[in-house]
Amino acid sequence: MRRKKPALVIAFASTAHAMRVEAFCAAAGLPGRLIPVPREITAGCGLAFKTLPEEEAHFRTVFAQEGIEYEGMYTVDLWG
Amino acid sequence: MIRVDAMGDACPIPVVKAKKAIKELGGSGVVEVLVDNSIAVENLTKLAKSLNCTAAAEKKGEAEYCVKITVGEAAAQPEVGGEACYVPAGKKRIVVAMASGKMGEGNDELGAVLAKGFLFALTQQEQLPEAVLFYNGGATLTTEGSPALEDIRTLEAQGVEILTCGTCLNYYGLSDKLAVGGVTNMYVIVEKLTGADLVIRP
Repeated sequence: MRRKKPALVIAFASTAHAMRVEAFCAAAGLPGRLIPVPREITAGCGLAFKTLPEEEAHFRTVFAQEGIEYEGMYTVDLWG
Repeated sequence: MIRVDAMGDACPIPVVKAKKAIKELGGSGVVEVLVDNSIAVENLTKLAKSLNCTAAAEKKGEAEYCVKITVGEAAAQPEVGGEACYVPAGKKRIVVAMASGKMGEGNDELGAVLAKGFLFALTQQEQLPEAVLFYNGGATLTTEGSPALEDIRTLEAQGVEILTCGTCLNYYGLSDKLAVGGVTNMYVIVEKLTGADLVIRP
């Protein structure tokens, strides 16, 4: 069954920063992965971190604690 | 009457499901198949014709069609297997060749991120490729520990054939680490590449 479902997409200012964030999240056990920035989002560099929409508050807290900068968080419908 | 939900299914799954339902019917009756694209409607109509059945299609929504196949006494029983994807003119047979675990040349770390990103973006396309071939360094993408497994599994679930070169798995010592799709050989790789309208090598 091919259906779109909402995903939380976090945009960053640079590709290298996006890659560092993915490595950090993997090490910290935070769910998600890098994807090419969906066309709906115009902010940030070409790569974005994709995770579950319900994780938004968690990511905002962790990013604030760790001083991780990001351009924006968006909910986008993607093919599951 | 048997109702079949084939919404979201890639070719040839709607046809396979319809055949199964017609078999289940075991005689005359009606099979209703719900699909989300006009190509599936066309393929189901062709199936009905080939079995001496009649088909009526109704557009129910922007991406929702109901194909009603009426199976009469004179209908032939469908043969399972050998379903071809009747791709209408304009639709290309696309094969993707992942010749490396990296996309492009320059920086390998970035190349690995780009390869993963490419496979994700592939899952987001309206038209999916017929097959994705993984050979040489590409074989690392279909094996345990690959960051692209989730996307490759998504493609496989949509009916995209996932094939990894057996020689390559053996060379890299990954023969028992294949995590998605099947193992193939050079003859099949050549057939897939020569049979395609379009070969994408990112």
